[in-house]
Order: sequence, then structure tokens, then C-alpha cells
Amino acid sequence: MSTTLSKEPAREPAPEPTGAPPVFSIRKLWKVFGPKAERVPDSELADLPADELRRSTGCTVAVRDVSFDVHKGEVFVVMGLSGSGKSTLVRCLTRLIEPTAGTLEIDGEDVRAMDKSRLRELRRHRAAMVFQHFGLLPHRTVLDNVAYGLEIQGLGKLERRALAMKVVTKVGLEGMEHRRPAQLSGGQQQRVGLARALAVDPEVLLFDEPFSALDPLIRRDMQEEVIRLHREEGRTMIFITHDLSEALRLGDRIALMRDGEIVQCGTPEEIVAQPADDYVRDFVRDVPREQVITVRTAMRAGACSGPDHPGALAPDTIVATAIEIVARSGAAACVVEDGDCLGVVDHENLLAVVAGIGSERAAVS
Amino acid sequence: MSTLIPEKPAPEKTGSPPGGPQGPATRSLLLRRLSVMSPLARRLTALAALAVVLVPFAAVLWGSGAWPGELGVDVSGPLDDLSQWIVDNRDTSPVFLYFLLHISNTSVDAVDGVYSVLDGLGWPGVTAAAVLLAWCAGGASRAGLKVAAVALGAFAGCGLLGMWDPAMLTLALMTVAVAVSVVVGFALGLAAGLSRPVDRALRPVLDTMQVLPAFAYLLPFVLVFGTGSPAALLATVIYAAPPMARLTALGLRDADPSVLEASASLGASSRQQLLKARLPLARKELLLGLNQTIMMALSMVVIASVIGAGGLGDEVYSALSTVDVGAALAAGIPIVLIAVWLDRTTEAAGERIGAPPAADGPRLLRGGPAWAVAAVGTAVAFAVGKVAGAAQWPAGWTVDISGSVNSFQEWTVDNLHAGVPVLGGTEVWASNFTVWILNPLRDVLQGAPWWSLLLLVAALALLVGNWRNALGATAALAATGVLGVWGNTLDTLSQVLAALALTLLLGVAVGILAARVGWVERVLRPVLDVLQTLPQFVYLIPVVALFGVGRAAAITAAVAYALPAVVRITTQGLKKTDPAALEAARSLGATGAQQLRQVQLPLARPALLLAVNQGVVLVLAVVIVGGLVGGGALGYDVVFGLSRGDLGVGLVAGAAIVCLGLVLDRVTQPTVRETDH
Repeated sequence: MSTTLSKEPAREPAPEPTGAPPVFSIRKLWKVFGPKAERVPDSELADLPADELRRSTGCTVAVRDVSFDVHKGEVFVVMGLSGSGKSTLVRCLTRLIEPTAGTLEIDGEDVRAMDKSRLRELRRHRAAMVFQHFGLLPHRTVLDNVAYGLEIQGLGKLERRALAMKVVTKVGLEGMEHRRPAQLSGGQQQRVGLARALAVDPEVLLFDEPFSALDPLIRRDMQEEVIRLHREEGRTMIFITHDLSEALRLGDRIALMRDGEIVQCGTPEEIVAQPADDYVRDFVRDVPREQVITVRTAMRAGACSGPDHPGALAPDTIVATAIEIVARSGAAACVVEDGDCLGVVDHENLLAVVAGIGSERAAVS
Repeated sequence: MSTLIPEKPAPEKTGSPPGGPQGPATRSLLLRRLSVMSPLARRLTALAALAVVLVPFAAVLWGSGAWPGELGVDVSGPLDDLSQWIVDNRDTSPVFLYFLLHISNTSVDAVDGVYSVLDGLGWPGVTAAAVLLAWCAGGASRAGLKVAAVALGAFAGCGLLGMWDPAMLTLALMTVAVAVSVVVGFALGLAAGLSRPVDRALRPVLDTMQVLPAFAYLLPFVLVFGTGSPAALLATVIYAAPPMARLTALGLRDADPSVLEASASLGASSRQQLLKARLPLARKELLLGLNQTIMMALSMVVIASVIGAGGLGDEVYSALSTVDVGAALAAGIPIVLIAVWLDRTTEAAGERIGAPPAADGPRLLRGGPAWAVAAVGTAVAFAVGKVAGAAQWPAGWTVDISGSVNSFQEWTVDNLHAGVPVLGGTEVWASNFTVWILNPLRDVLQGAPWWSLLLLVAALALLVGNWRNALGATAALAATGVLGVWGNTLDTLSQVLAALALTLLLGVAVGILAARVGWVERVLRPVLDVLQTLPQFVYLIPVVALFGVGRAAAITAAVAYALPAVVRITTQGLKKTDPAALEAARSLGATGAQQLRQVQLPLARPALLLAVNQGVVLVLAVVIVGGLVGGGALGYDVVFGLSRGDLGVGLVAGAAIVCLGLVLDRVTQPTVRETDH
């Protein structure tokens, strides 16, 4: 399974957080379930342990003081175990679940202040969601399921079917457009769910554990499908999962949630190489580190002496590749970006990554 | 899904101290003793304590015989006054002139209108319409032909037996009643499906209506509208609308939440949600509701002949009152045929939903074109009929079966009723059953002290349910005493108990057999299908032929009516037991009998309890209708009240039937309802 973690080499790097305003900007977002929930956020009640809070007020905090930005074109993964509040969080983004407190903006527009029709507009055109249990209409054909979002927008039958047909082809379901959901396998059904979301041409795609109900092999296929779609269209995606390998595979950045809070938010490499606390460290313990960490992290900084840069690795080369090159040549390799030598990796650096003792050093530096 | 759903805080267990005049020391001892008992034993102990206090008091004050007269209220006087007032004011009071009269006139007009359309179409037109409708409902494919053949057979049967006109009248009544029932039921179901408070308010009402025998619905409408089709129609609507309401609400409530969420996430408005997701998802339940409403309407339209609804039921009713089995059968068979036709057609429409389109083979026509073909076909048949002058069913094409049936009936009277060697004969069985089982049972019930019966009912209701059940059941039984029909109620109760015992004995035995032997189930299934669709009234015909008039006949009809449901529920309950548990038992070397006794029956307990509850409700319905064939007691009071125009007696009996229905339902109903929220 170790190779499954490696990212596609041809993927474009995530855009820098500077420049255009974020697609989603979330600040101090809370969701509390229960009676008079609004009294809990930012009060001393919020500091109570979950059991005690429930006993004294009947409330449960599902999302706790969460802040993050999602930038255009990036795949932002929210990952956590079940009960960590990640599904609630993604539903708050389009107010399928009403947030209790905090601010929530899409392209700088306040989502919480939207009236009903504006919110409907948001759901119809700007953010579409893919669900764990598909949510397909059993009485409709594949084509009409895919066209459902367009139908809600009020498109005519011919127009929406033509558009839907294009998307059906895009997700590889051509020839099955007249079947019913019950006649499809789980993976195919989720392709329909994906196609339905894509058909409305949304600015952001939201995925709520879309592949959790699928077999491992099918899951792999579907992950590749998402990577392919992202490469082709560059659409912004927010992806909820409880599967760490899925998060590492897909995410440009990962927010790790626990008990409603984000414990750490960063690139897969940052999460693996510099876990923020013991919980995260525990979480990533079994990750094959050499498949995630790049030589940029592993290298010893400082230019090499010669102009010929032996080895000449790009900074985002993963350690596993570097090991092979260094082992073959038997000498240290240079990390080169735009003709400049950023640093050097040798046996010692690379072994430290594999042994998991690099993180302390990185954290110190 | 990691969505956090807040759980309700667990309710604190509060031990409720039982009331009693003990000192504090004994009370704390008692409390400690009670706290180690199971909740059931605790409740029964509390009841026993209550009885110890109250019973001597009651026995001294009012004696220990039948229901004490001092505790009764004579309602027949005021009821007679009320009915007299209604008769006097029907033509002058504004309530009647501006409201009830309109309802009455509209319903008469509607039935007349539908009847004249059916009449105008002529028999070729009506038959063609029914056949093509069935074909369309069956998918307009080769599979639809079977359904169409059933329709053709049903209408040909009606004509051949010389019952075309009554059948059309019954159909006209049905059409109007079903249309109104469906509209009313759908509207109620929509409200209950979309609003939780409405659902909570409506559910107990619908639950109660479901357990009341059809006969109990008739009298209030006669009181207001007099006998005739308006009363029959309204009673039918009230009787048939609940399943539609219930299933509509169920379908809307049970819609897959993930689909609804997906629809909301795409920005559907609440109207779009309802029209494009919720209602289509509930189509199966809606059609099942339509099917049940139609079958209940048929059952009621036939029974309502007692209050002046014409048609097939009237033919059966008048034939039964003169014990003319041949004529009753000639009208009863068309009822069966119509029931089977309606059931198959609506069922075929329901089955097609959810079945993938590829499954039923290539289709010549779908949707619109198929319906167009049906319309054109009907028009052609109508035109051909008109040209040929065949508006009436040709007199030469009828077969009079009543003569031969009656001679067969005489033969059975001569040969089967008595004097069969060793076996005896049906009449002998009936009289033995009456003398040795029914009479002693009735005498025991009627001779038992009134308070002991109340106590018994309370204890039984506590055993299967909770305090609310017990209180309701006891109050309902007491109400029959207060109304002054204690004796008759117990007579009816004795018949219900005897019939229930027979039904359960036979039903569970056959159910176990069907669950274990494959071919028995295969043979039984079509038989049960047909039996379950038949109106209660039809069951009276063969039993009168076999057992003559009397309580045994009524009980046999009740057993025959309730048996299919009990067999089916038992079989399904046994077959649905966890296969893993059964496999585990088998792997440990359990014999077939051990598997049944130790695994299947215990696991099927909920189903068996349901079978008892259903059995009781169905048995009661027919035992009451059995008043028409000599069942006596409450059912007879209703018939008597109707035929003599003595509404006081009839209404009191009707109220007692309602009470008895509630008692029996509460005593047999496990409290599963409380768990759903």
C-alpha cells in the first residue's frame, strides 16, 4: 500500500495563499446542537468537558471555533475520526446545517447573512455536494439524476439532458444513462452523484466522505477520478474523509479535526513531518514517511560547492525517490530549484526521515 | 456520517412509591423489595394492592353479580329524543338545510352521475375500459395481459351471473367513495407527513379507527342522514380514508434522508422538494394506500347495504335474510370477482414502481400512448355496443346458478348436516360447539363478578402494555356496563374469544407448516392472496350453507376471515428470524423441533403478538357482522336497531362495539408504538 500515498507527479502545486481572495473564508465558526445553543460559544460553558456540558445544558458542541481559508483551485481536505464534527462542518458551509456563531464568507460574501433566495442561488450554482450515501433518486434514470440539479434551476428538458449527457460521459458512465440507480454498482452510483454535482458547474465541489461506502479497489479508482478531474478543471474542492491515506493522496492542504476543533492545518508533508501534538503524531505514526516528505524538508540547507549539482533533485521530490538515487550513486545529492542549489541530502538525512527522527530536528530549526 | 446528533439526556429513573397506608418502616422494606422486582412484577403488585383496597368496597356496595344497575346510565331515552329531533327538524333546521342537505344531495348526484356514465357506456364500453385500464396498470406489456384477463373475467362473471346492474351500482358507489376517501386521506396524510404536531394529533385517531368494526360506523350516519346512499357513502369514506392518510404520511416521513439532503444541497425550494423528491419517493406507499382504501371501500359499500346502499351487497343482504343461499352466492361471486380485479389492478401498478424498466421485457407502448390506446379502445367498444344496440347485458347470456346452488344446498342439508357416519355432520358440530364451548364460556363470563372482569382486563393490559393501556381498556369495558349492555357485550366477547382461540390454533399451526415446508407455502400463497381481499360480508354466505343460522356460523366466518392474516404474519415472522441464529443452532446439532422451539418461536415473538392483535381485530369485525346470520348479541342489536328504526338500541350497541374493540386492542397490543419518535 505504500505507493498509494505518492501523489501523481504531474500534479500542479497548490496555488500560493497570496493573491486572489479565498473562495471560502471561515472564522471562529461554531455549531452547537441543543436548546439555546447560542449561549455556548465563547462562554465558559464551552470549556466544560463534553459530558458535563451535555448534562448541565443538553447541548453538544459539534464544531468548535474553527477558522480556515480555502483558496481557488486547491483541494482542501478535512480529516478526522467519526464524531469529530467534520460532516457537520461541511454542511455548515452551505447552511444545510445552520452555524451557531462565527463568520462564513464565499468570495467575500457573507453566507450567514444571505436570505433564502440568495442561499438557494448559492446552492444551485456555486457549491455542489457529493454525499457518502449518494442520495440518488431511485425512480429516475442515471441521466435524469444527473440532470436533477439543472431541473431545480429551471432548465428545460432538452437543454438539461444535453448538458447532463456531457457530464455522464466525463465521469465514464456513457452507455448507462438509461439505467436506474439500483442497477448500478456502488462505485457507479457515486459516479452519478459526482456527475450530478459537476453538472451544475459549481465553483466549489464539496465531498462528504464520498468513498467511505465503497470497496478499497473502487475507492482507489474514484480517488484517481477526482485527481483527474481536478487536474483537468482545476475546480476548488473541499473533501471530507476519515481515511488518512485518502487525505494525504488528495489534499493540497489538510485540516485535522478532533472533537470539533482543528488540531492542525497544513500540507500533507507538514502534518507528517511536524505533527502539532501527540494526537496528530499518533495519527500519522504508520504513514510511510518517505512517500510523503520531500527532500526540501529532509535536506541539509546550504549550497554545494561545485557547479554540476550531483543528483540534482527538484525540491518536491519525495524522499523515497531520493533514496534510490543516493543509494545508486553512493554520494549525497543536491536539491536544485531554478538552477540554484538549495541544499544537500545524504544517507544520514534520508535515513532520519524514514526513522522518524527528522521531525524533532525540523521542529527545532 | 460523523454528524453529531445530540442525544436526549437519559431520563432519570424515579422509583414511584406505591400508595398505601403502611407505616414508614414497612414502606421502606416494601420499597426495597419492589426495587429488586422486574418492572412487570412491580406493576402487577401495584395493581394487586389497588384491587385489595377497592374490590371489597365495590363488592359490598354493588354486589358481585353482573354489572350493577346503579352504575348504569340509561341513554336510550335521550338518544331516541335526539333521533326524533333530527327526524322532525331535518327539513327545517339550518344545520340541515345549509350544510348536511348539500352533502346528502351532492353525494346522491355524484353516485347517480357515475352510474349514468357507466350505464351510458353500456357493457361493451365498461368492460373494454376496465380491461384496458388493467392492461395499462400492468405495464401495457405482456405481463399486463394477465391483469387484463383478470378484469375481463371479473366483468364477464358479473354479466353471466345476471348481476350486471347491481354490480354497476356498486361500482358507482365505490368510485365516488374512493375518490372522496383518497382526496381526504391524501390531504390528511400530507399534513401529517409534513408537520409533526399534526402527525402526533392524527395518529392515535387513525390507530383507533383501524381497530373498530365496520358495523360501528353505520349508525351515526343513519342518525343524521337516514338510511340511503348518502349515509352509506359517508360511512364508507370515513372507513376507507384512514389507510390512505396513514400510508401517505408514512411515505412522506420515511423518505430517504440522504436524498432529501442532496436535493436541499442543490438548492431545491420546499415546493420542489415535495413535488420532485418526497412525493415520487413515496409513490409505492401512495399506491399501497390507494389499494387498501379501495379494498376497504368495497368491503364497506357491501356492508352498507344494511343501511340502504343498493348494489351487490343489497342482493346478498336480502338473500341472506331469507336464507336463500343460491341467490346470495349469485351476488357474492361478483363481489369476489370485483375485489380480485381491483386488487390485482392496483397491485400491478404498485409493483411496476421500483421494478427496473428492463426487467419486464421490451415494451410496445409506454406511458401516454398506452393510455391513448386504452381510451380509443373504450370508445370503439362503446360505439360498437351502441350500433349493435347492446346497452344492457344480453338476457340470453346469463346463467342462473341459484337453482342448482339451492338444490346442492338441500343436498348438503340432507347429507352433511347430520348423520355422517363417525364424523357426525356440520349441524352436529355446530350444535356441539355451541353447547359445549360457547354456552359455558358465555355463562362463565356473564356469571363472573363484574369487578373480577375489570381486574382481569387491567392485569392483561398491564402484562402486554403499560398503565395507559390498562386504564384505557378497563374504562372501555366499564363503559359497556354503564351503557347497560354488559350481558350482550360479554356474549359477543365469548364468541370473539372462542373464534380467536380457533383462529390462533389453526393459524399458527398452518403458519409453522408453511414456514417449514416450501410447497405448502407455494400452494397457500395464491389462496391467501384471494382470501385477504374479500369483503367480510362474503364470508357469511358459505357458512350459512354449511352450518345454518346461529352463533357457530358467525364464528366460523370470523375464523375464516381472520385466518389468512394470522397464517401470513406467523409465516413471515418465522421466516424472518435471523438466519445466523438458526445456523448457529443447527451447527450445534439442534433438531428441527428444537430449532423451532428454542430459536424460531422465541425470535418470532413480536410477529406472534402482532398476529394475536390482528386476529382479534379481524375476528371482532366479523363476529359483529355475524349478527346478520344469527350471531346475536351486539351485532344483532345493531341490525335490529336499523331494521326497526330503533336507533337508541342500535347506537348503544354500536358504542359498546367500539368499547369492546378498544378493550381487545389494548389488551393484545404490545407497546411498540412508544419507541418510535
